[in-house]
Amino acid sequence: MSQPSEQRAPALEVRHLSVDIASSHGDVHAVRDVSFRVERGQTLCIVGESGCGKSMTSLAVMDLLPAAARRRAEVLRVGEHDLARADRRTVNALRGERMAMIFQEPMTALNPSLTIGAQMVEAHRHHRGSSAAQARERAVHLLERVGIASAAQRLGQYPHQLSGGLRQRVMIAMALMCEPDVLIADEPTTALDVTIQAQILRLLMDLQRETGVAIVLVTHDLGVVARVAHKVAVMYAGRIVEEGPTAEVFGRPRHPYTRGLLGCIPVPGRVAPGGHLGIIRGTVPALVGELRGCTFRERCDAARPTCAHDDPPRRSGAAGHAWSCILEEEEAVS
Amino acid sequence: MTTTLASSPSSSPAAQSVDVAPSRRAQLWARARRHRPFMLGLALLGAIVLLAVAGPFFYGHDPYAQDLTRRAVPPVWYARGSWAHVLGTDALGRDYLARLLHGGRVSLLISLAVVLISGSIGTTLGVLAGYFAGRVDLAITFVITASLAMPSILIALVIVSMVGSSLTVVILVLGLLMWIRFAVVTRTATQQIRALDYVAAAQAVGASRWRIIFGEVLPNVMPQVIVVATLEAASAIMVEAALSFLGLGVQPPTPSWGLMIAEARSYMFFSFWLIAIPGIALGLLALAINLVGDGLRDLFAAGSRN
Amino acid sequence: MTRYLLGRVALALLVALAVSALAFLVLRLSGDVALAIAGEGASEADLQLIRASYGLDRPLPVQYLAWLWQTLRGDFGSSLYFKVPVSELVLQKLPTTMLLGLSALCFGLLLAVPLGVAAALWRDSWVDRLAMGITVVAQALPTFFVALVLIMVFAVWARWLPVSGSGSWLHFVMPTIALGYYVMPPFMRLIRSNMIEVLSADYVRTARAKGLPTAAVVLRHALRNAIVPVVGLAAVQLGFLLGGSVVIESVFALDGLGYLAFRSISYKDFPVLQTIVLLLSLLYVALTTLSDIANVWLDPRLRSA
Repeated sequence: MSQPSEQRAPALEVRHLSVDIASSHGDVHAVRDVSFRVERGQTLCIVGESGCGKSMTSLAVMDLLPAAARRRAEVLRVGEHDLARADRRTVNALRGERMAMIFQEPMTALNPSLTIGAQMVEAHRHHRGSSAAQARERAVHLLERVGIASAAQRLGQYPHQLSGGLRQRVMIAMALMCEPDVLIADEPTTALDVTIQAQILRLLMDLQRETGVAIVLVTHDLGVVARVAHKVAVMYAGRIVEEGPTAEVFGRPRHPYTRGLLGCIPVPGRVAPGGHLGIIRGTVPALVGELRGCTFRERCDAARPTCAHDDPPRRSGAAGHAWSCILEEEEAVS
Repeated sequence: MTTTLASSPSSSPAAQSVDVAPSRRAQLWARARRHRPFMLGLALLGAIVLLAVAGPFFYGHDPYAQDLTRRAVPPVWYARGSWAHVLGTDALGRDYLARLLHGGRVSLLISLAVVLISGSIGTTLGVLAGYFAGRVDLAITFVITASLAMPSILIALVIVSMVGSSLTVVILVLGLLMWIRFAVVTRTATQQIRALDYVAAAQAVGASRWRIIFGEVLPNVMPQVIVVATLEAASAIMVEAALSFLGLGVQPPTPSWGLMIAEARSYMFFSFWLIAIPGIALGLLALAINLVGDGLRDLFAAGSRN
Repeated sequence: MTRYLLGRVALALLVALAVSALAFLVLRLSGDVALAIAGEGASEADLQLIRASYGLDRPLPVQYLAWLWQTLRGDFGSSLYFKVPVSELVLQKLPTTMLLGLSALCFGLLLAVPLGVAAALWRDSWVDRLAMGITVVAQALPTFFVALVLIMVFAVWARWLPVSGSGSWLHFVMPTIALGYYVMPPFMRLIRSNMIEVLSADYVRTARAKGLPTAAVVLRHALRNAIVPVVGLAAVQLGFLLGGSVVIESVFALDGLGYLAFRSISYKDFPVLQTIVLLLSLLYVALTTLSDIANVWLDPRLRSA
């Protein structure tokens, strides 16, 4: 789904982002040389298993990393604002205003001792200097927009008085208070029931159509990716191993890891009763110390001797589809 | 070959001793060495104990020997001081360093005795309440709540004044009043241990209740008891000092740091060191014990977290 | 919520009853009351007379019930030394002690909150170490020693404050400091550990994600949640302060309940002692009950349950 907005500056551009976390065993390279861009009105899904660094990436963009983590990036831009070398005040001014984030657990992500209303209006009042009444009005409007009935009453309630789905809607409404250009969602539906998941995703898509906000959605659920993503980036061991338009990547997966992931999805009829479900053998390696070659090689059926010391070359296919693997295009398709 | 995960201490396959990992005690000690406040407290405590216990053997002066010709001689670092009395003398001409050392013995003795008594009472009650639950627990908890409500210092004062104050009385009274924290902590700990699987396993095997209590519950409750013991020890020293200061603790001429401060009160405007020296001694001892107690708490907590 | 309240109050009353019995027991059993009243060298006949007139020859439970009945009717007996009704004496001295207790509590909190918050914000840095160092030292110094040092410094050398007595508010300054610094450590530790926990909570991360200034995040979001248990602890500590004021009041000759208790001990003035112990215990029970209720009320999650 190519957009004519390729000529305009992307809503979010990240180039060569790395995050190292200090630990007693040495530096853990949680995110290694990650680059991506998201255009206005587009949704990019970063997908991968637990520990692949996708959450760290989203936190790194928002500068919400834990104290022991260090971030490096060549380019980290939201619209025209350069975040890579910005000082604390600039970053704070942009957070909540140009870029917003919603988290996985709406119960713990909301302050239990403040009302919904209080939490919703504070960012707006701080960034836009609005009056209490103005901010309230906007809050009510947004709560209604995300589908919460009796919005005015909800403002006076506390988070524990709402259900999980409602809380997540509140989080979304709260994130949109200042009309951000970029919305980063870290596993927003993982903690919710399946039916509620669908509603929330649909809500996000509607809001995107209306406001043109760019969404970066981090998830481990391929179903979510299929449903909402224009582009997908597959992360493994801190690196993006494959990326491109969703249809392309899902239809013609090139990297062995992507193929493995897609093969893990149980499809009724594909495997005969009594047969084996797809797995990827092995485990994710520890990302400490010097890492050479392809980190997937231990679990890859098609691994070659060169994979142990040479970084896999970057290959590209149709419509911006790219992946890092030594296998030639023909070899990859099997 | 599957990928190896996080680093484990590399062990050559060739002849390794039976325990590959260092024993728990060794681990604990290694961690302790790195805990600076704990080591400081331990060193300080060790020094004080050494001085109090062994000091009087080396330092000949008699803490009870009065010499009215040499009253209120200042310590050696003052102009009028001399090495004959390193820390000066008090209002009755008694050597202050000697009184300090002997007073230290008193403080240590009291803290030890009180902690033993109150610790035994409190731990027993706490374990019983935690293990047997039900009505036993209800009764003991009620006693705890009621005892907590009583102003203990006041009660101690009253009892001591009625019965007559002496070292023994102080020890007994404090021992009977300070068991509460032991009971509370051991009760909670026992409840937690009781709910653990291995207790159920022991019961399933048919181990008698007492066996479980002594074999499983007590050993695991001990670390917390020790932590509480150190903190209560410091508390006991302070309370005894306060009692003696008010004249209702150790009686003269026995030296007690609190008593020394009280005796020096009327002279404090001219000879402030008479108050400062025992006061600082009290502070250092309490500090040392608290540091050790806090350190133990940190170490045991970190250990159980692993 | 109301059910919890009723249950808690009922428990408190039960405890109060038990405490009164305990206090009574302790006082009666710790020595021969008749002897204490009569003084040394009294003849056996005198003692018998005293026992009869004070009802001391009746069995203990009967004595207790009689005393309880009397107390509930507001009759606390007469002071043996001052020869006035005990209730009068106690009510006269109570405000002083309450004032001292409250100001010491405030002083302690005033020190504890900044220290605890700073220690948590800059955890494991020199700020944290310094704050903990101050706390540990404060815990180790005996209150009466600090009181004497304060007197030396402020009353004798600087001559800013009166040495003792209880005439004006100036007389309360040093006692407040002497009592207050000692109550600071438990608060500081509680605030520090709570803040550390709260600062790593998800909702603090959300607040930072909204670009709120650090002060707002710390005060409005973090401290607000971390401070809740402090209220509960404050009530409990106030109870201890009231009980422990004996020493400080005696040092400063501050005319409150503690000083009265101290003097009554030397005069062996039973009715006064009994009443003071009872009063302090009841206050403590009331305060702990309030503390439990406060803990529940301050947490919106529990309040509406």
